[in-house]
Parts: sequence; C-alpha cells; structure tokens
Amino acid sequence: MTAMNAMNGWLTAVRIVLRKELLDGVRDRRALFSALLYPLLGPLLSGLLFGFMADKQRDAADVPMPVMAADRAPELVEWLEAHGVEVVAAPEHPREAVRDGEVPFVVSVPEGFAASLAEGNPAKIELIVDGSRNDSRAAIGHAQKLLGYYGQELASQRLLARGIDPEVMHPVIVAEVEVASDQELAASVFAFVPMFVLMATFIGGMQLAVDATAGERERGSLEPLLLNPVSRSAIVVGKWLAAVAFALGCVILTLVACVAVLEYTPVRDLGLSLDLRVPALFGVLLAAAPMALMAAALQVLVASFARSFKEAQTYISLLVFVPMVPAVIGMMTGLERSIGALLIPGVGQQIVVEQLLGGGAATALDYLLPMLSALVVAAACVWLTAWMFRRESVVFGR
Amino acid sequence: MIVAEHLRKRFGDVTAVHEVSLRAEDGRVTGLLGPNGAGKTTTLRLLYGLMRPDAGTVQIDDVNVIADPLGAQAKVGVLPDAHGLYPRLTAREHVRYFGELQGLRGAALEQRIAALIERLDMGGIADRRAAGFSQGERMKVSLARALVHGPNNVILDEPTNGLDVMSTRAVRKLIRELRDEGKCVLFSSHVMQEVSALCDVIVLVAGGRVVARGTPDELRELSGHVDLEDAFVELTGIDDHRAQTHAEAPS
Repeated sequence: MTAMNAMNGWLTAVRIVLRKELLDGVRDRRALFSALLYPLLGPLLSGLLFGFMADKQRDAADVPMPVMAADRAPELVEWLEAHGVEVVAAPEHPREAVRDGEVPFVVSVPEGFAASLAEGNPAKIELIVDGSRNDSRAAIGHAQKLLGYYGQELASQRLLARGIDPEVMHPVIVAEVEVASDQELAASVFAFVPMFVLMATFIGGMQLAVDATAGERERGSLEPLLLNPVSRSAIVVGKWLAAVAFALGCVILTLVACVAVLEYTPVRDLGLSLDLRVPALFGVLLAAAPMALMAAALQVLVASFARSFKEAQTYISLLVFVPMVPAVIGMMTGLERSIGALLIPGVGQQIVVEQLLGGGAATALDYLLPMLSALVVAAACVWLTAWMFRRESVVFGR
Repeated sequence: MIVAEHLRKRFGDVTAVHEVSLRAEDGRVTGLLGPNGAGKTTTLRLLYGLMRPDAGTVQIDDVNVIADPLGAQAKVGVLPDAHGLYPRLTAREHVRYFGELQGLRGAALEQRIAALIERLDMGGIADRRAAGFSQGERMKVSLARALVHGPNNVILDEPTNGLDVMSTRAVRKLIRELRDEGKCVLFSSHVMQEVSALCDVIVLVAGGRVVARGTPDELRELSGHVDLEDAFVELTGIDDHRAQTHAEAPS
C-alpha cells in the first residue's frame, strides 16, 4: 500500500513538473521557434527544389530548337516539325549564345549534309552544347534523343529499300527490368523525408531540454526547486517528458509539412508517388516516437553535464548530427535491413521509416527492435541524469 | 525547531564547515552572523538537507534531515542563497508550482496563494511575468514560494541582500510576524544592524566554527565591547582567523 502511495506521489510530481515545463516552453519564443519553424523550413525548401526540377523536365519538351542553316536539311526540319518541335532560326553567333546560356543548344547543319545523305554516307550534324550548364541538360537530352530517332528512321528506310528487315540493326535488345516499385523509386528520391522526420526528434525538444536543466541551474532556480519534497528522479523525468512532447510535436508538424509539400507542389510531375496514406504516417510516427524519447533523454543528460547554458547549447547542436549519419548513409548506399542494423538506434528507425514511406509493410520486429534499443538508451540517459541531479557538485555547479 | 550537532563539511581540500552546532528554538529568531566566507551558506545547506555533512547530525522538529531529507523539506521553508525565478512564469504561477510540489491542491492551495499575495503586498505583480521584476519583487516571490506550505521552520539565507529600504522593512516585518506566530526562524547575515535589530539569539560563526552564541546583550558582555560591531570584530577574530586556518592546514 505504501509502495502504491509512493508511486502515486512520484507520478503526481512528474505531472506537476511536466505541466510547468510545458507552460514555460510554450511561452519561450526560442523553444517554440525551433520546434515550429524547423518542420516547415526543411520540407518547404526541398519542395521548392523538386518543384523546380520537375518544371525543368517538363519544359525540356517545349523548348524551341534553334537550327543553323536549316535550308541545308529541309527533310530534317520537316520531320522535326511533324514531331511537334518548333524549329527556329539559330542566333548569329551560336557558340557564344550557348556559352552565355541564351539558348540551351544549337543544331548546326554543315555544308554537304544533304549530299552525304543522298550518297548514303554518314552525314554529320553538330549539336553545340555547353556541358558545364546543368540547367540545359534536360533540353539537350531531349534534342539528342530526337535526332537519334531521326537517324534510326532513315536507317530503317534504307534497309527496307534494300529489302532487308530493319530488325537486323538490333541484334541485341537491352530491356531494363525495373524491380523497384514506383514507390520505392520515389522513396529513394525522397530519402530526405525520413531524415527530416528523425532530425525533428532532435530539434523539437532541444531548447526546452537546455532551458530546463542548464538554464534552470544558471538562473539559480534549481536550488529552490530541489528544496521541495519530491524525488530528483521525478523532477528529471518531468523535464525529460516535456522535451519529448516538444520533439513529438515537431515530428508531427514535419510529417504534415512533407505531405503538404508533396501534395501541392509539382513534385508529382516527376512521376513519383510516396505512400503518404494515413496508416503509413501513423507507422512513421510510431517508429519515430522511441527516437524522440531517446533524443530528449540524450539532450537532458548532455545539458545537465554542461557547466553553462551556452556550453549546453553548443553540445546539443552537435547532437543533431547523430541522426544525420545513418540518414546520409541511407541516401548514399541504402541501409541493409538486418537484426544488427535494426538494433542500432537511429539506423533502425531510418530503415523502418524508409520502408514505410516506400509502401512496404513493416513487421512487428521492425518496430520492436529499434524501439527496444532506443528505449534502453533513453532509460540509461534518464537514470544517469537523475543520478547527476543527486550529486552536490552538479546541483551547485562546482 | 532546528538542532544541529558537530557539523563538518569538506569540498576537496577546503573545509568549509569545521564544527558547527546550533539550536534554533520555536518562537525565536535565530541569526547566523559571520563575515563573508565564514561558512554560513554551507551550514544552512546542511541544515535544509541539500548537502550531506561529512560528520554530525541535523534534526528539524522530529525528522532526521540526513536520513529523510524529503521529510524534512516538508517541514521547512527555505530562501536559499540562489533564488532565481522563471522569467516566463507569473508571480502567482511560481507560488502555485511550489505549492503543488509541496502537496497542496485545489481550493486550499489557491487560498494559501491569495493569502501570501496579500501578506507580502504582491497584488500588483501577482499576474505579471517575472522577467521585469525588481530585486524587491523577486525577493517577495521567492519568499512566497518558500512559505507556501506554511512550514513551522523557516530558513532564510541573507534575505535582505541587495534590497532597498522599503523591501528590507517588509522582510523584517515578515520575520517578526513569523516569530510571533510561534515559528522557528533562522536567518543568516553579515550585517550587524540587521541581526541586532531582529534576533533573539545570535550564533556567531567564523572560519567554519561557532565562535560565540547568545543574545545581543550577552555577546556585548562576552566581548567587553558596548558597540555590537566592535563585539563582532573581536569575537570573530577577523584579524587573526586567517593565520589560524593557515596553521591548521597541514593537519
């Protein structure tokens, strides 16, 4: 019975501290700023970027094709126009124009093009490009493809004229067999989403964790607080849970922002779709929640360890890079799904979130293993922080 | 009632408190008087259980502070050396937070808060955030949250430090009222006038030891000085106490 009462008292103390820290956090403009602004900023920027890319890709087909000395190849011009290309006159100095980016490329028809064609010799055609310009790449690719088709069509006509099946030109046909689902392809492009989500777990509670520990001591309000008849562990757990709440709020906002960006920007025109249906989103939240517990616990521990508010902020902003490591590795090489990898906090979550957003189903084990390891780390950090709060040297900052 | 016996506390090589015993009775104001660095703050921290002594015992009412610090903290209201506020909470929220942590709830808590706001004349600042408070206003909030649970014992570490005349008067008035209610009040100070004006009993500390104790009159008699300040200098041995600690260091 007394154990029950003690437990109830402990929980009540946790709730009181949690409520106060949340109230304090909500009124803290800096804490709110980092928890609210971050989730909007990342997805919005990448939304703009991807939207821009999609625009370029779509525009490539609509770019008019400057052809120099078009009169030397009337059939080509006719063929191009028949295929929906607007042929325009080339600028006077094509090389300079391309270098300066006035036009993405210029097709130049050399003298004797028609003659070579008539004789059946290889007829040269020049495509003037500037390979250092990324923004012309899509348009150049489109032009190359068109000119290639034109050549193939001519070759087929010649073979037919000689009574040969044009198929002899293709002794080997390379057919790409895409084994990734569209969603998996999309996920590889959208590898940034899991990264944003996992980073949100670290960024959301950052300010609050520092303010509630290092800040509390620096303001001189820690000594009076510890003079209340509640256990140190209850105080630490209350502060930790407040940081967790902010981290989770930040995760939810990040997800909402990602959904909004993917819905309302031209990202869809890239021909990609990400599984952002409600169950998948809840799965992501479920996978990210233990990460939020761990991130806040790490932050509370590190901030309690620091001698000052400034020092704590420095350490904690370095901590943000922790979830970025597996995320970047995941983007570069892909993470292997194995028991070992799932057990590494951060890596495991990354794998699960990637799988969920890729439209795959995550098994119970996929959720459980990273959850387990994150909870172990979180518990260890909270326990250590509570131990530190019982040390005079930490309380009085000696 | 607060009773401490043979307290001793070291920090690394430095012994902050060598040997302090004191007894603060209910219905009395006991002053812990001593120069800066005499070990007053450390002694008080040992008394209210935020630090553990290396040797000695502390008793608050019937609670052994070393064995049950949380139990003791329910029986004592403390204004510690550091008494920072939360800049984003109002005065009322500060008092409420500590009242809840002390186990008060609902109407009883709100009543208690209202009474303290009235008593400390905090009506004008009760619902303002602490960010812009003056020293005096900050002190009032700190006192209110220390007293929210109506403790029988009150420990105040330099309660008038940095306050203007009006705020100092308010604090002195509060201390007298608490005594008249029969509470045990123990406060520290390095200011003679303060202690002589308020205290029933003075405990004089220097170099981590109690060097004298008694009523202001007894101290005057003991030192052979009519002026209490002269008595203070004589009894604390400010001139030779440095030499004394140096001589002790090798042992």
